Amino acid sequence: MVAAPACTEHRWVEPVLSAVGLTKRFGDLVAVGDLSFELNAGSVTGFLGPNGAGKTTTLRMLLGLAEPTHGRALVFGRPFAELERPATRVGAVLEAADVHPGRTGRNHLRVLARAARIPVSRVEEVLELVDLKGAAGRRAAGYSLGMRQRLSLAAALLGDPELLVLDEPANGLDPEGMRWLRDFLRAFATHGRTVLVSSHVLAEVAQTVDQVVIINRGRLVVESPLSELTARLAGTIRVEAVQPDVLEAALRDAGIASERTNGKLHVHGVTAERVGEIALAAHVGLRELVTESASLEEVFLELTTEPPS
Amino acid sequence: MTDQLGSELLKLRTTRTTAWFLLAAVAVTVLGTLVEGLSTSLGRLAQEDPQRTVLGAGGSGATLFATFAGLIAVTSEFRYGTIRPTLLFEPRRRVVLGAKLAAATLVGIVFAVVCLLVSFGAGLVILAERNVDVTLSGAQMLALVLGTVAASALGGVLGASVGALIRNQVGAVVAIVAYAFLVDAVVFAAVPSVGRFLPGKAGDALAGQPVEHLLAPALGGAVLVAWTLLFAAMAAVRMDRSDI
Repeated sequence: MVAAPACTEHRWVEPVLSAVGLTKRFGDLVAVGDLSFELNAGSVTGFLGPNGAGKTTTLRMLLGLAEPTHGRALVFGRPFAELERPATRVGAVLEAADVHPGRTGRNHLRVLARAARIPVSRVEEVLELVDLKGAAGRRAAGYSLGMRQRLSLAAALLGDPELLVLDEPANGLDPEGMRWLRDFLRAFATHGRTVLVSSHVLAEVAQTVDQVVIINRGRLVVESPLSELTARLAGTIRVEAVQPDVLEAALRDAGIASERTNGKLHVHGVTAERVGEIALAAHVGLRELVTESASLEEVFLELTTEPPS
Repeated sequence: MTDQLGSELLKLRTTRTTAWFLLAAVAVTVLGTLVEGLSTSLGRLAQEDPQRTVLGAGGSGATLFATFAGLIAVTSEFRYGTIRPTLLFEPRRRVVLGAKLAAATLVGIVFAVVCLLVSFGAGLVILAERNVDVTLSGAQMLALVLGTVAASALGGVLGASVGALIRNQVGAVVAIVAYAFLVDAVVFAAVPSVGRFLPGKAGDALAGQPVEHLLAPALGGAVLVAWTLLFAAMAAVRMDRSDI
Protein backbone atom coordinates (compact mmCIF):
# COMPACT_ATOMS: atom_id res chain seq x y z
CA MET A 1 0.00 0.00 0.00
CA VAL A 2 1.37 3.37 -0.97
CA ALA A 3 0.45 6.15 1.42
CA ALA A 4 -2.47 8.18 0.16
CA PRO A 5 -2.02 11.95 -0.08
CA ALA A 6 -3.62 14.00 2.64
CA CYS A 7 -7.36 14.11 2.49
CA THR A 8 -9.28 17.20 3.60
CA GLU A 9 -12.89 18.26 3.26
CA HIS A 10 -11.92 19.36 -0.23
CA ARG A 11 -10.79 15.80 -0.83
CA TRP A 12 -7.58 16.00 -2.86
CA VAL A 13 -5.18 18.76 -2.02
CA GLU A 14 -2.98 17.93 -4.95
CA PRO A 15 -4.22 18.24 -8.51
CA VAL A 16 -6.49 15.40 -9.54
CA LEU A 17 -4.69 15.17 -12.82
CA SER A 18 -1.55 16.79 -14.11
CA ALA A 19 0.39 16.85 -17.33
CA VAL A 20 3.96 17.99 -16.82
CA GLY A 21 5.91 18.79 -19.97
CA LEU A 22 4.04 15.99 -21.68
CA THR A 23 5.50 15.19 -25.09
CA LYS A 24 4.74 12.50 -27.61
CA ARG A 25 6.66 12.09 -30.84
CA PHE A 26 5.84 9.70 -33.65
CA GLY A 27 9.05 9.82 -35.66
CA ASP A 28 9.40 13.42 -36.76
CA LEU A 29 5.84 14.31 -35.94
CA VAL A 30 5.32 15.98 -32.59
CA ALA A 31 1.80 14.91 -31.67
CA VAL A 32 1.97 16.51 -28.24
CA GLY A 33 4.70 19.00 -27.36
CA ASP A 34 5.69 20.05 -23.86
CA LEU A 35 2.11 20.20 -22.66
CA SER A 36 1.45 21.13 -19.05
CA PHE A 37 -1.86 21.62 -17.29
CA GLU A 38 -3.63 20.60 -14.11
CA LEU A 39 -7.12 19.78 -13.02
CA ASN A 40 -8.34 20.52 -9.54
CA ALA A 41 -10.98 18.52 -7.74
CA GLY A 42 -14.52 19.58 -8.48
CA SER A 43 -13.79 21.19 -11.82
CA VAL A 44 -15.38 20.43 -15.16
CA THR A 45 -12.75 21.08 -17.77
CA GLY A 46 -13.19 21.22 -21.51
CA PHE A 47 -10.17 19.83 -23.31
CA LEU A 48 -10.45 21.52 -26.64
CA GLY A 49 -8.72 21.68 -29.96
CA PRO A 50 -9.36 20.94 -33.61
CA ASN A 51 -9.28 17.38 -34.87
CA GLY A 52 -5.72 16.13 -34.88
CA ALA A 53 -4.61 18.59 -32.21
CA GLY A 54 -3.32 15.80 -29.98
CA LYS A 55 -6.24 15.54 -27.54
CA THR A 56 -6.69 11.78 -27.76
CA THR A 57 -2.94 11.16 -27.64
CA THR A 58 -2.76 13.28 -24.48
CA LEU A 59 -5.63 11.39 -22.88
CA ARG A 60 -4.06 8.05 -23.81
CA MET A 61 -0.85 9.12 -22.07
CA LEU A 62 -2.76 10.28 -19.01
CA LEU A 63 -4.58 6.94 -18.88
CA GLY A 64 -1.48 4.80 -19.22
CA LEU A 65 -2.32 3.51 -22.69
CA ALA A 66 0.54 5.33 -24.41
CA GLU A 67 4.00 6.04 -23.13
CA PRO A 68 5.10 9.71 -23.21
CA THR A 69 8.31 10.45 -25.10
CA HIS A 70 9.07 13.03 -22.41
CA GLY A 71 7.32 14.42 -19.41
CA ARG A 72 4.96 12.97 -16.89
CA ALA A 73 1.28 12.18 -16.86
CA LEU A 74 -0.06 11.86 -13.32
CA VAL A 75 -3.47 10.97 -12.00
CA PHE A 76 -3.95 11.50 -8.27
CA GLY A 77 -0.22 12.13 -8.12
CA ARG A 78 0.80 8.86 -9.72
CA PRO A 79 1.10 7.33 -13.16
CA PHE A 80 -2.26 5.75 -13.98
CA ALA A 81 -0.80 2.24 -14.16
CA GLU A 82 0.36 2.51 -10.55
CA LEU A 83 -3.09 3.24 -9.16
CA GLU A 84 -4.62 0.57 -6.99
CA ARG A 85 -7.86 -0.64 -8.65
CA PRO A 86 -7.86 2.37 -11.01
CA ALA A 87 -11.47 1.87 -12.08
CA THR A 88 -12.55 2.99 -8.62
CA ARG A 89 -10.62 6.25 -9.04
CA VAL A 90 -10.89 7.09 -12.72
CA GLY A 91 -13.64 6.34 -15.22
CA ALA A 92 -12.78 6.92 -18.85
CA VAL A 93 -14.31 6.54 -22.28
CA LEU A 94 -11.93 6.88 -25.20
CA GLU A 95 -13.95 5.24 -27.96
CA ALA A 96 -17.65 4.75 -27.61
CA ALA A 97 -17.68 1.68 -29.82
CA ASP A 98 -15.28 -0.34 -27.64
CA VAL A 99 -17.71 -3.19 -27.16
CA HIS A 100 -17.65 -6.76 -28.49
CA PRO A 101 -20.67 -6.97 -30.81
CA GLY A 102 -21.38 -10.54 -29.75
CA ARG A 103 -21.61 -9.74 -26.05
CA THR A 104 -24.67 -8.31 -24.34
CA GLY A 105 -24.43 -4.90 -22.74
CA ARG A 106 -24.91 -6.43 -19.31
CA ASN A 107 -22.16 -9.00 -19.84
CA HIS A 108 -19.83 -6.30 -21.18
CA LEU A 109 -20.19 -4.56 -17.83
CA ARG A 110 -19.93 -7.78 -15.83
CA VAL A 111 -16.67 -8.68 -17.50
CA LEU A 112 -15.18 -5.32 -16.49
CA ALA A 113 -16.71 -5.38 -13.01
CA ARG A 114 -15.16 -8.79 -12.42
CA ALA A 115 -11.68 -7.48 -13.26
CA ALA A 116 -11.96 -4.67 -10.71
CA ARG A 117 -13.75 -6.67 -8.01
CA ILE A 118 -16.88 -4.55 -8.36
CA PRO A 119 -20.08 -6.29 -7.19
CA VAL A 120 -22.53 -7.43 -9.87
CA SER A 121 -25.27 -5.33 -8.24
CA ARG A 122 -23.37 -2.23 -9.36
CA VAL A 123 -23.80 -3.36 -12.98
CA GLU A 124 -27.57 -3.03 -12.60
CA GLU A 125 -27.16 0.38 -10.95
CA VAL A 126 -25.14 1.85 -13.79
CA LEU A 127 -27.45 0.30 -16.39
CA GLU A 128 -30.29 2.09 -14.64
CA LEU A 129 -28.27 5.29 -14.49
CA VAL A 130 -27.69 5.44 -18.25
CA ASP A 131 -31.18 4.15 -18.99
CA LEU A 132 -30.01 1.01 -20.75
CA LYS A 133 -31.72 -1.61 -18.64
CA GLY A 134 -34.19 -2.58 -21.34
CA ALA A 135 -31.49 -3.35 -23.89
CA ALA A 136 -28.95 -4.82 -21.47
CA GLY A 137 -29.82 -8.41 -22.38
CA ARG A 138 -29.36 -7.84 -26.09
CA ARG A 139 -26.11 -8.29 -27.94
CA ALA A 140 -24.29 -5.03 -28.59
CA ALA A 141 -24.26 -5.64 -32.35
CA GLY A 142 -27.81 -4.31 -32.40
CA TYR A 143 -27.06 -1.17 -30.42
CA SER A 144 -27.17 2.29 -31.94
CA LEU A 145 -24.13 4.52 -31.55
CA GLY A 146 -25.97 6.43 -28.83
CA MET A 147 -26.61 3.20 -26.92
CA ARG A 148 -22.96 2.22 -27.20
CA GLN A 149 -22.04 5.66 -25.90
CA ARG A 150 -24.23 5.12 -22.88
CA LEU A 151 -22.90 1.61 -22.36
CA SER A 152 -19.33 2.94 -22.42
CA LEU A 153 -20.30 5.66 -19.96
CA ALA A 154 -21.90 3.00 -17.74
CA ALA A 155 -18.61 1.08 -17.84
CA ALA A 156 -16.69 4.19 -16.83
CA LEU A 157 -19.05 4.70 -13.90
CA LEU A 158 -18.87 1.11 -12.63
CA GLY A 159 -16.21 1.87 -10.04
CA ASP A 160 -17.95 5.05 -8.84
CA PRO A 161 -14.85 7.07 -9.79
CA GLU A 162 -13.76 10.50 -8.58
CA LEU A 163 -12.51 11.53 -12.01
CA LEU A 164 -14.34 11.06 -15.26
CA VAL A 165 -12.49 11.43 -18.57
CA LEU A 166 -14.53 11.47 -21.77
CA ASP A 167 -13.06 11.78 -25.24
CA GLU A 168 -15.43 13.46 -27.71
CA PRO A 169 -18.57 12.20 -25.98
CA ALA A 170 -20.80 14.31 -28.20
CA ASN A 171 -19.98 12.27 -31.29
CA GLY A 172 -23.05 10.28 -32.16
CA LEU A 173 -25.28 11.83 -29.53
CA ASP A 174 -28.51 13.49 -30.60
CA PRO A 175 -29.38 16.87 -29.07
CA GLU A 176 -31.48 15.20 -26.39
CA GLY A 177 -28.64 12.85 -25.50
CA MET A 178 -26.28 15.78 -25.41
CA ARG A 179 -28.51 17.64 -22.98
CA TRP A 180 -28.77 14.55 -20.82
CA LEU A 181 -24.98 14.23 -20.80
CA ARG A 182 -24.56 17.91 -19.87
CA ASP A 183 -26.91 17.58 -16.93
CA PHE A 184 -25.24 14.36 -15.93
CA LEU A 185 -21.73 15.83 -15.95
CA ARG A 186 -22.83 18.86 -13.93
CA ALA A 187 -24.39 16.61 -11.34
CA PHE A 188 -21.34 14.36 -11.35
CA ALA A 189 -19.00 17.28 -10.64
CA THR A 190 -20.73 18.26 -7.44
CA HIS A 191 -19.29 16.81 -4.24
CA GLY A 192 -15.75 17.43 -5.42
CA ARG A 193 -15.73 15.06 -8.33
CA THR A 194 -13.86 16.06 -11.44
CA VAL A 195 -14.58 15.87 -15.16
CA LEU A 196 -12.32 16.22 -18.18
CA VAL A 197 -14.23 16.23 -21.42
CA SER A 198 -12.62 16.68 -24.81
CA SER A 199 -14.22 18.12 -27.89
CA HIS A 200 -13.31 19.78 -31.17
CA VAL A 201 -16.44 21.93 -30.97
CA LEU A 202 -16.45 24.49 -28.19
CA ALA A 203 -20.21 24.99 -28.36
CA GLU A 204 -20.73 21.35 -27.34
CA VAL A 205 -19.13 21.87 -23.99
CA ALA A 206 -19.44 25.65 -23.46
CA GLN A 207 -22.55 25.16 -21.31
CA THR A 208 -20.99 22.40 -19.26
CA VAL A 209 -17.43 23.34 -18.45
CA ASP A 210 -16.09 25.91 -16.05
CA GLN A 211 -12.58 25.94 -17.41
CA VAL A 212 -10.92 25.18 -20.70
CA VAL A 213 -7.62 23.76 -21.80
CA ILE A 214 -7.20 24.53 -25.47
CA ILE A 215 -4.47 22.87 -27.49
CA ASN A 216 -3.49 23.07 -31.11
CA ARG A 217 -0.87 21.05 -32.91
CA GLY A 218 -0.02 19.37 -29.65
CA ARG A 219 0.75 22.59 -27.82
CA LEU A 220 -1.09 24.49 -25.16
CA VAL A 221 -2.91 27.55 -26.48
CA VAL A 222 -4.97 28.61 -23.49
CA GLU A 223 -5.63 27.28 -20.03
CA SER A 224 -8.14 29.47 -18.27
CA PRO A 225 -11.52 29.66 -16.60
CA LEU A 226 -14.26 29.84 -19.18
CA SER A 227 -15.37 33.21 -17.78
CA GLU A 228 -11.94 34.71 -18.51
CA LEU A 229 -12.06 33.45 -22.04
CA THR A 230 -15.49 34.98 -22.46
CA ALA A 231 -14.34 38.27 -20.98
CA ARG A 232 -11.40 38.38 -23.30
CA LEU A 233 -13.68 38.49 -26.27
CA ALA A 234 -16.10 41.09 -25.09
CA GLY A 235 -15.78 44.56 -26.47
CA THR A 236 -13.66 44.72 -29.54
CA ILE A 237 -14.48 47.95 -31.36
CA ARG A 238 -14.08 48.07 -35.09
CA VAL A 239 -13.80 51.55 -36.54
CA GLU A 240 -13.28 52.69 -40.08
CA ALA A 241 -12.05 56.26 -40.20
CA VAL A 242 -11.62 58.64 -43.14
CA GLN A 243 -8.15 59.44 -41.80
CA PRO A 244 -7.11 56.33 -39.92
CA ASP A 245 -3.61 57.66 -39.21
CA VAL A 246 -5.02 60.63 -37.37
CA LEU A 247 -7.42 58.54 -35.34
CA GLU A 248 -4.69 56.04 -34.51
CA ALA A 249 -2.53 58.88 -33.19
CA ALA A 250 -5.43 60.38 -31.25
CA LEU A 251 -6.21 57.02 -29.64
CA ARG A 252 -2.55 56.59 -28.79
CA ASP A 253 -2.53 60.01 -27.14
CA ALA A 254 -5.52 58.86 -25.08
CA GLY A 255 -3.54 55.81 -24.02
CA ILE A 256 -5.55 53.39 -26.11
CA ALA A 257 -3.81 50.83 -28.30
CA SER A 258 -5.28 49.87 -31.63
CA GLU A 259 -4.44 47.48 -34.42
CA ARG A 260 -4.99 48.21 -38.05
CA THR A 261 -6.13 45.52 -40.48
CA ASN A 262 -7.39 46.26 -43.98
CA GLY A 263 -7.52 49.92 -43.17
CA LYS A 264 -9.83 49.38 -40.22
CA LEU A 265 -8.82 49.90 -36.62
CA HIS A 266 -9.57 47.39 -33.89
CA VAL A 267 -9.63 48.69 -30.35
CA HIS A 268 -9.89 46.61 -27.21
CA GLY A 269 -11.08 47.43 -23.75
CA VAL A 270 -13.03 50.63 -24.42
CA THR A 271 -16.58 51.44 -25.38
CA ALA A 272 -17.67 52.54 -28.85
CA GLU A 273 -18.88 55.79 -27.26
CA ARG A 274 -15.37 56.65 -26.05
CA VAL A 275 -13.87 55.94 -29.48
CA GLY A 276 -16.52 58.22 -31.01
CA GLU A 277 -15.66 61.05 -28.62
CA ILE A 278 -11.96 60.78 -29.42
CA ALA A 279 -12.70 60.80 -33.13
CA LEU A 280 -14.90 63.88 -32.78
CA ALA A 281 -12.26 65.72 -30.75
CA ALA A 282 -9.65 64.87 -33.39
CA HIS A 283 -12.00 65.94 -36.18
CA VAL A 284 -11.80 62.56 -37.84
CA GLY A 285 -14.70 61.47 -39.97
CA LEU A 286 -16.01 58.00 -39.32
CA ARG A 287 -17.50 55.65 -41.88
CA GLU A 288 -18.18 52.84 -39.46
CA LEU A 289 -18.12 52.29 -35.70
CA VAL A 290 -19.11 48.79 -34.55
CA THR A 291 -18.92 46.84 -31.32
CA GLU A 292 -17.88 43.32 -32.26
CA SER A 293 -18.94 40.69 -29.83
CA ALA A 294 -17.23 37.60 -31.06
CA SER A 295 -18.90 34.35 -30.14
CA LEU A 296 -16.92 31.86 -28.16
CA GLU A 297 -16.79 29.75 -31.26
CA GLU A 298 -15.09 32.54 -33.19
CA VAL A 299 -12.51 32.93 -30.48
CA PHE A 300 -11.94 29.25 -30.45
CA LEU A 301 -11.39 29.26 -34.20
CA GLU A 302 -9.11 32.24 -33.92
CA LEU A 303 -7.08 30.52 -31.21
CA THR A 304 -6.80 27.23 -32.98
CA THR A 305 -6.43 28.27 -36.59
CA GLU A 306 -2.88 28.66 -37.77
CA PRO A 307 -2.29 32.08 -39.29
CA PRO A 308 -1.52 31.71 -43.00
CA SER A 309 2.23 31.93 -43.41
CA MET B 1 -4.39 -11.88 -11.18
CA THR B 2 -7.33 -14.06 -10.09
CA ASP B 3 -9.72 -11.15 -10.67
CA GLN B 4 -8.38 -10.67 -14.17
CA LEU B 5 -8.48 -14.41 -14.83
CA GLY B 6 -12.10 -14.43 -13.68
CA SER B 7 -12.79 -11.59 -16.08
CA GLU B 8 -11.06 -13.36 -18.96
CA LEU B 9 -12.97 -16.58 -18.35
CA LEU B 10 -16.21 -14.59 -18.22
CA LYS B 11 -15.28 -13.01 -21.56
CA LEU B 12 -14.88 -16.46 -23.08
CA ARG B 13 -18.27 -17.55 -21.78
CA THR B 14 -20.16 -14.45 -22.85
CA THR B 15 -19.61 -14.59 -26.58
CA ARG B 16 -20.47 -17.54 -28.78
CA THR B 17 -17.03 -17.74 -30.37
CA THR B 18 -15.49 -20.21 -27.93
CA ALA B 19 -18.54 -22.47 -28.02
CA TRP B 20 -18.45 -22.53 -31.83
CA PHE B 21 -14.79 -23.49 -31.77
CA LEU B 22 -15.52 -26.28 -29.30
CA LEU B 23 -18.34 -27.50 -31.52
CA ALA B 24 -15.99 -27.47 -34.51
CA ALA B 25 -13.37 -29.39 -32.52
CA VAL B 26 -15.97 -32.01 -31.58
CA ALA B 27 -17.12 -32.28 -35.21
CA VAL B 28 -13.55 -32.82 -36.38
CA THR B 29 -13.10 -35.37 -33.60
CA VAL B 30 -16.21 -37.33 -34.57
CA LEU B 31 -15.11 -37.36 -38.19
CA GLY B 32 -11.55 -38.36 -37.34
CA THR B 33 -12.65 -41.15 -35.00
CA LEU B 34 -15.08 -42.56 -37.56
CA VAL B 35 -12.56 -42.45 -40.40
CA GLU B 36 -9.73 -43.98 -38.38
CA GLY B 37 -11.94 -46.49 -36.62
CA LEU B 38 -13.85 -47.72 -39.65
CA SER B 39 -11.23 -47.52 -42.41
CA THR B 40 -8.31 -49.12 -40.59
CA SER B 41 -7.99 -52.84 -41.25
CA LEU B 42 -8.78 -55.27 -38.43
CA GLY B 43 -5.26 -56.61 -38.58
CA ARG B 44 -3.77 -53.20 -37.95
CA LEU B 45 -6.35 -52.29 -35.31
CA ALA B 46 -5.10 -55.21 -33.25
CA GLN B 47 -1.88 -53.22 -32.74
CA GLU B 48 -1.39 -50.54 -30.17
CA ASP B 49 -0.41 -47.62 -32.41
CA PRO B 50 -3.55 -47.66 -34.59
CA GLN B 51 -5.58 -47.93 -31.39
CA ARG B 52 -3.85 -44.79 -30.17
CA THR B 53 -4.77 -43.06 -33.42
CA VAL B 54 -8.45 -43.97 -33.04
CA LEU B 55 -8.85 -43.24 -29.34
CA GLY B 56 -6.69 -40.11 -29.48
CA ALA B 57 -8.42 -38.76 -32.60
CA GLY B 58 -9.75 -35.90 -30.47
CA GLY B 59 -6.29 -34.48 -30.00
CA SER B 60 -5.67 -32.75 -33.30
CA GLY B 61 -9.10 -31.07 -33.41
CA ALA B 62 -8.85 -29.97 -29.80
CA THR B 63 -5.35 -28.54 -30.25
CA LEU B 64 -6.13 -26.78 -33.52
CA PHE B 65 -9.30 -25.13 -32.26
CA ALA B 66 -7.87 -24.36 -28.84
CA THR B 67 -5.13 -22.51 -30.72
CA PHE B 68 -7.76 -20.59 -32.67
CA ALA B 69 -9.75 -19.87 -29.52
CA GLY B 70 -6.65 -18.46 -27.82
CA LEU B 71 -5.83 -16.43 -30.91
CA ILE B 72 -9.32 -14.98 -31.25
CA ALA B 73 -9.61 -14.27 -27.52
CA VAL B 74 -6.68 -11.86 -27.81
CA THR B 75 -7.15 -10.43 -31.30
CA SER B 76 -10.84 -9.68 -30.77
CA GLU B 77 -9.83 -7.27 -28.01
CA PHE B 78 -7.87 -5.31 -30.56
CA ARG B 79 -10.43 -5.75 -33.32
CA TYR B 80 -13.31 -4.40 -31.24
CA GLY B 81 -11.25 -2.01 -29.13
CA THR B 82 -12.22 -3.70 -25.86
CA ILE B 83 -8.51 -3.75 -25.04
CA ARG B 84 -8.95 -0.10 -24.00
CA PRO B 85 -11.55 -0.69 -21.27
CA THR B 86 -9.70 -3.88 -20.33
CA LEU B 87 -6.49 -1.92 -19.69
CA LEU B 88 -8.35 0.93 -17.99
CA PHE B 89 -9.67 -1.60 -15.48
CA GLU B 90 -6.33 -3.46 -15.16
CA PRO B 91 -3.46 -1.32 -16.45
CA ARG B 92 -0.77 -3.83 -15.56
CA ARG B 93 -0.22 -5.26 -19.01
CA ARG B 94 1.51 -8.41 -17.84
CA VAL B 95 -1.35 -9.23 -15.51
CA VAL B 96 -3.75 -8.92 -18.44
CA LEU B 97 -1.55 -11.01 -20.73
CA GLY B 98 -0.88 -13.56 -17.99
CA ALA B 99 -4.61 -13.91 -17.33
CA LYS B 100 -5.26 -14.34 -21.04
CA LEU B 101 -2.62 -17.05 -21.33
CA ALA B 102 -3.97 -18.80 -18.25
CA ALA B 103 -7.50 -18.64 -19.65
CA ALA B 104 -6.23 -20.02 -22.97
CA THR B 105 -4.58 -22.89 -21.06
CA LEU B 106 -7.90 -23.75 -19.47
CA VAL B 107 -9.61 -23.55 -22.86
CA GLY B 108 -7.05 -26.01 -24.24
CA ILE B 109 -7.61 -28.39 -21.33
CA VAL B 110 -11.41 -28.24 -21.61
CA PHE B 111 -11.31 -28.70 -25.40
CA ALA B 112 -8.99 -31.72 -25.06
CA VAL B 113 -11.05 -33.34 -22.30
CA VAL B 114 -14.30 -32.93 -24.25
CA CYS B 115 -12.76 -34.15 -27.51
CA LEU B 116 -11.06 -37.10 -25.83
CA LEU B 117 -14.34 -38.11 -24.19
CA VAL B 118 -15.84 -38.11 -27.67
CA SER B 119 -13.00 -39.98 -29.38
CA PHE B 120 -12.59 -42.51 -26.55
CA GLY B 121 -16.35 -43.03 -26.36
CA ALA B 122 -16.92 -43.37 -30.09
CA GLY B 123 -13.61 -45.17 -30.60
CA LEU B 124 -14.25 -47.81 -27.94
CA VAL B 125 -17.74 -48.44 -29.33
CA ILE B 126 -16.37 -48.86 -32.86
CA LEU B 127 -13.57 -51.15 -31.73
CA ALA B 128 -16.04 -53.24 -29.71
CA GLU B 129 -18.44 -53.43 -32.65
CA ARG B 130 -15.60 -54.61 -34.87
CA ASN B 131 -14.60 -57.15 -32.21
CA VAL B 132 -11.15 -55.60 -31.72
CA ASP B 133 -9.45 -56.35 -28.43
CA VAL B 134 -8.15 -53.11 -26.96
CA THR B 135 -4.61 -54.01 -26.01
CA LEU B 136 -3.57 -50.55 -24.75
CA SER B 137 -3.01 -50.70 -21.02
CA GLY B 138 -4.61 -48.28 -18.63
CA ALA B 139 -1.24 -46.59 -18.13
CA GLN B 140 -0.79 -46.20 -21.89
CA MET B 141 -4.25 -44.68 -22.20
CA LEU B 142 -3.51 -42.30 -19.36
CA ALA B 143 -0.28 -41.26 -21.06
CA LEU B 144 -2.22 -40.64 -24.28
CA VAL B 145 -4.79 -38.53 -22.44
CA LEU B 146 -2.27 -36.49 -20.47
CA GLY B 147 -0.08 -35.87 -23.52
CA THR B 148 -3.05 -34.80 -25.58
CA VAL B 149 -4.39 -32.49 -22.88
CA ALA B 150 -0.95 -30.92 -22.45
CA ALA B 151 -0.54 -30.41 -26.21
CA SER B 152 -3.95 -28.77 -26.46
CA ALA B 153 -3.30 -26.53 -23.45
CA LEU B 154 0.01 -25.40 -24.92
CA GLY B 155 -1.75 -24.87 -28.27
CA GLY B 156 -4.15 -22.47 -26.58
CA VAL B 157 -1.28 -20.52 -25.00
CA LEU B 158 0.62 -20.45 -28.28
CA GLY B 159 -2.47 -19.14 -30.09
CA ALA B 160 -3.03 -16.41 -27.50
CA SER B 161 0.66 -15.41 -27.68
CA VAL B 162 0.63 -15.22 -31.47
CA GLY B 163 -2.55 -13.16 -31.21
CA ALA B 164 -0.88 -10.71 -28.83
CA LEU B 165 2.06 -10.48 -31.23
CA ILE B 166 0.16 -9.99 -34.47
CA ARG B 167 -2.99 -8.31 -33.06
CA ASN B 168 -4.64 -8.07 -36.44
CA GLN B 169 -7.28 -10.78 -36.32
CA VAL B 170 -7.41 -11.69 -39.99
CA GLY B 171 -3.63 -11.56 -40.27
CA ALA B 172 -3.17 -13.78 -37.25
CA VAL B 173 -5.71 -16.36 -38.45
CA VAL B 174 -4.10 -16.45 -41.90
CA ALA B 175 -0.68 -16.82 -40.30
CA ILE B 176 -1.75 -19.73 -38.10
CA VAL B 177 -3.63 -21.52 -40.88
CA ALA B 178 -0.77 -21.03 -43.34
CA TYR B 179 1.65 -22.25 -40.73
CA ALA B 180 -0.32 -25.28 -39.53
CA PHE B 181 -1.38 -26.57 -42.93
CA LEU B 182 1.53 -25.43 -45.04
CA VAL B 183 4.84 -24.68 -43.34
CA ASP B 184 4.56 -27.33 -40.67
CA ALA B 185 3.36 -30.07 -43.02
CA VAL B 186 5.68 -29.24 -45.91
CA VAL B 187 8.83 -28.90 -43.84
CA PHE B 188 8.06 -32.12 -41.96
CA ALA B 189 7.44 -34.00 -45.21
CA ALA B 190 10.54 -32.61 -46.89
CA VAL B 191 13.01 -32.60 -44.00
CA PRO B 192 11.53 -34.58 -41.10
CA SER B 193 14.67 -34.18 -39.00
CA VAL B 194 13.97 -30.43 -38.91
CA GLY B 195 10.20 -30.44 -39.21
CA ARG B 196 9.75 -32.54 -36.11
CA PHE B 197 11.10 -29.67 -34.03
CA LEU B 198 8.40 -27.31 -35.28
CA PRO B 199 5.56 -26.56 -32.81
CA GLY B 200 2.87 -28.52 -34.66
CA LYS B 201 4.86 -31.73 -34.90
CA ALA B 202 6.26 -31.32 -31.40
CA GLY B 203 2.62 -31.13 -30.29
CA ASP B 204 1.77 -34.32 -32.17
CA ALA B 205 4.73 -36.00 -30.49
CA LEU B 206 3.60 -34.78 -27.06
CA ALA B 207 0.09 -36.05 -27.72
CA GLY B 208 1.63 -39.48 -28.30
CA GLN B 209 0.58 -39.77 -31.91
CA PRO B 210 2.23 -42.74 -33.63
CA VAL B 211 3.72 -40.97 -36.66
CA GLU B 212 7.09 -41.87 -38.09
CA HIS B 213 9.99 -39.44 -37.48
CA LEU B 214 8.27 -37.65 -34.59
CA LEU B 215 10.25 -36.89 -31.46
CA ALA B 216 9.67 -38.97 -28.34
CA PRO B 217 6.66 -37.62 -26.37
CA ALA B 218 8.74 -36.16 -23.55
CA LEU B 219 11.18 -34.44 -25.89
CA GLY B 220 8.30 -33.25 -28.08
CA GLY B 221 6.72 -31.81 -24.97
CA ALA B 222 9.91 -30.02 -24.00
CA VAL B 223 10.25 -28.57 -27.50
CA LEU B 224 6.63 -27.36 -27.52
CA VAL B 225 7.05 -25.81 -24.08
CA ALA B 226 10.15 -23.99 -25.37
CA TRP B 227 8.24 -22.65 -28.39
CA THR B 228 5.37 -21.59 -26.19
CA LEU B 229 7.66 -19.78 -23.76
CA LEU B 230 9.42 -18.06 -26.64
CA PHE B 231 6.16 -16.75 -28.13
CA ALA B 232 4.75 -15.83 -24.73
CA ALA B 233 7.92 -13.86 -23.97
CA MET B 234 7.72 -12.02 -27.29
CA ALA B 235 4.05 -11.29 -26.64
CA ALA B 236 4.94 -9.89 -23.20
CA VAL B 237 7.58 -7.60 -24.68
CA ARG B 238 5.17 -6.33 -27.33
CA MET B 239 2.43 -5.87 -24.74
CA ASP B 240 4.78 -3.96 -22.43
CA ARG B 241 6.22 -1.66 -25.02
CA SER B 242 3.49 -0.73 -27.40
CA ASP B 243 0.93 2.01 -27.18
CA ILE B 244 -2.71 1.06 -27.28
